[in-house]
Amino acid sequence: MKPLVEVRGLSAVAGTAVLVDGVDFKVWPGQVTALVGASGSGKTTSALALLGEHGRGVRLSGEVRVDGIDLMSNGADAAAVRGRVVAYMPQHPGSALNPARRIGTAIGELSRLHNHGADGVVEALRAAQLPGDRSTQRRFPHQFSGGQRQRIALAQALACRPKVLVLDEPSTGLDSITRLQLVSELKELTGQGLGILLLSHDLELVRALAQYVVVLDAGRVIDAGGTDVLPAATKLRPRPGTTGTPTPLLQAMNLTASLRARGRDPILQEVELTVPPGGCVGVVGRSGSGKTTLARCLAGLHERHTGRITLSDQPLPVLRKRSAEQARRVQYVWQEVRGSFDERRRVDDQVARTAERLRGVSRVDAKAEAVATLARLGVSAMVAARPPSQLSGGELQRAAIARALLARPDVLICDEITTALDEHGTALVVELLTELQDSGMALVWISHDLGLVAAVADRVLVLEVGRVVEEGPPATVMAKPAHEITERLVRAARLGRSGVAASDPDPGPRTPAVPEDVVPEGAVPEGAVPETVVPEAEPPPVLTSCADTRSEPQR
Amino acid sequence: MRSYAAQRAALAVIQLAVLSILVFLLTALLPGDAADMRFTETLTPDQVARLRSQLGLDEPAIERFTHWFGNVLTGDLGTSLISGGSVADIVKASVGATLVLTLATLAVVVPLAVVLGLVMGTRENGRLDRVITSITLALSAIPDFVIAVVLITLFSLKLGWLPATWVGGDLPANPALLVLPVAVLLGRTVCLLSRQVRAGTINALNAEYVVQARRLGVPRRQLLLRHVLPNAAVPGVQELARTGDTLLGGVLVVEAIFAIPGFATALVDGVETRDVPVVQGLTLVLAVAALLINLAADLVCNRLVPRTELLR
Repeated sequence: MKPLVEVRGLSAVAGTAVLVDGVDFKVWPGQVTALVGASGSGKTTSALALLGEHGRGVRLSGEVRVDGIDLMSNGADAAAVRGRVVAYMPQHPGSALNPARRIGTAIGELSRLHNHGADGVVEALRAAQLPGDRSTQRRFPHQFSGGQRQRIALAQALACRPKVLVLDEPSTGLDSITRLQLVSELKELTGQGLGILLLSHDLELVRALAQYVVVLDAGRVIDAGGTDVLPAATKLRPRPGTTGTPTPLLQAMNLTASLRARGRDPILQEVELTVPPGGCVGVVGRSGSGKTTLARCLAGLHERHTGRITLSDQPLPVLRKRSAEQARRVQYVWQEVRGSFDERRRVDDQVARTAERLRGVSRVDAKAEAVATLARLGVSAMVAARPPSQLSGGELQRAAIARALLARPDVLICDEITTALDEHGTALVVELLTELQDSGMALVWISHDLGLVAAVADRVLVLEVGRVVEEGPPATVMAKPAHEITERLVRAARLGRSGVAASDPDPGPRTPAVPEDVVPEGAVPEGAVPETVVPEAEPPPVLTSCADTRSEPQR
Repeated sequence: MRSYAAQRAALAVIQLAVLSILVFLLTALLPGDAADMRFTETLTPDQVARLRSQLGLDEPAIERFTHWFGNVLTGDLGTSLISGGSVADIVKASVGATLVLTLATLAVVVPLAVVLGLVMGTRENGRLDRVITSITLALSAIPDFVIAVVLITLFSLKLGWLPATWVGGDLPANPALLVLPVAVLLGRTVCLLSRQVRAGTINALNAEYVVQARRLGVPRRQLLLRHVLPNAAVPGVQELARTGDTLLGGVLVVEAIFAIPGFATALVDGVETRDVPVVQGLTLVLAVAALLINLAADLVCNRLVPRTELLR
């Protein structure tokens, strides 16, 4: 079988900077090829070359052959490829929908454009698992939820009936259950003969999907082969956890929160939470289950709540009524941090400011402490001296963690702090936080990833529609999930690990064209206590450097 | 959409009520009244006082307002203190010319601004963009009356191609009458609008959804007309509603220069003679027109890009 896409020696040069240097990869029909690497490693640049596209001032060279057309030869028309052969799905595809157009019109336009007038709207919607009826087609993008918008974007891409689908970080921002669903849907698409090029730093997703992996670092291929080239992961068992009742440091009693005044639209109901000194309480749940609201209540940012919150047995008021000392003792790191940094000031100064303001440390000492903490988290002093717009999402996320840590808090509330991080970055964060925990800092760790939470927390709370549906030590929750939603979270936590391979055998026929070195996923026997995988603190150099030395300027 | 329109219409009714009070208050604040104005000419103080009570000007303001407002609700705008004719007739007689002038200007301005805006937006900071920007900015910087005088001198006096005034002209029979007034009104409006369309185009061109459409192979022409333009037009439409008053100010000057018997002329005459019912009637009609224009613009925008949060 011939590959659909053949890239040989692709280089991209902007001025004197080499963005991509001699990259080779192929995409076969019905197979998934993954380009793996941290942001800035050249994944997107390489993938966009398949559309004949490059950034301003970037020169491409090498050979890019898509469905028999050599895009790099003179006079080649990339327009013949766009959509029709290669469809590209950007990161956050849901925001790439035109707000002014009905979805049926937009999909119909693409369908007619690429299929000689055939109207494939209903088919495309169905392939993306959306209802194809007329009223759905007449709706505008803003009338759909975030998840549905992603499907609409997929339907748009599928309406072009491409041969190759390029997916740029498709799992970003998905909760773990939705991510699991994505895996099975993508497998279904490859079963229909579609070739997929997957760009991701989500190694678990890659392990679950890809037949062929190309590892990129700073624009170079540093390894290629089957999923076995991915850095090995250490297996960590969920913590046994504690069962006793220690003296609480932070406690929430009968906490109920609502969106509107006087308790209308409640989003959190009768939540009880106790955090002991040096302990870690994990909170898991799907998106929309009230996790962030709980964090905001504890941080004092959500004022429409009833119930009692105490810190060392003293009532803890809302943030604007907290004393400086109370503000210092409870710190909050949230998910989308870019907006919380001043665009015009250096990141390290902003991180240092917490120590100056809340602890009265001198400017020089605060700066030194900021730089040291950032370095521990893998953000070099050079990077931290830049304004926030020049840091990648992952770097900024770690800067936000450092900023909170500089207050030397007694309780740190972490709301999905690892979603923007790759495995190595996550490992660094977990390492530092565990160390601080040993010296007495308590953690409230909120995440949709039960696997990660189970590995760091002493106690796990499962939230669903604003209520605690299950609570217990991580090992117990993972081994004997009592609630249906917990069970789904446990299953989702095993993505790319033994669970998926065992429960979901190879869906499509494997073609003999797969390269020799591709190793099919084997079924690994499951242990009595499910194992979660957390990356090693020191992964092989493969993915270490890429996460930290390069940043992708974002605006 | 429908509930949004109903909501906006309900709001418009309240705005109208407040407006009518304002109109009445402001005209009541004008120094002197119609009787005073005539006093200087022929009448004795005694006669003025009689005239004042005859015209009802000596009644308390509240009483005058309720009387006037009640009449307005029944569609009666009152009678002119000067000519004795019905205000409604005066409005009808004056509104035609202004309406024709405004519509003719818009008919030229809107397509022109859209085309210029698209051309500039697609060539951001290119040579063409800078040339068009310079010309439109220069045009908008020159006061209307200067442009008017220059145009009249050139085309009417020197070349004799176009009539300099509207006096005695019948519009449908002679569209050449419109050319110079419209040309004068064009400058600033086209500049403001095309800048907005340009900004909208640049925004839309950089938006993820346009980049994505391009990557999915939508050809350039289709991309501009179907994907970019509806989004780019939104700031333009809102600007158009906002420039309504600018245009009206321009119409005032233009009507004066070209001796067009329009709305503005009637308004100025009314103020000069303190013909309060006429001023009130004209102002009210004007306010209603402004409200309707803004309502229409909001509805159009909501239809173009149906995101309600855009308008709230």
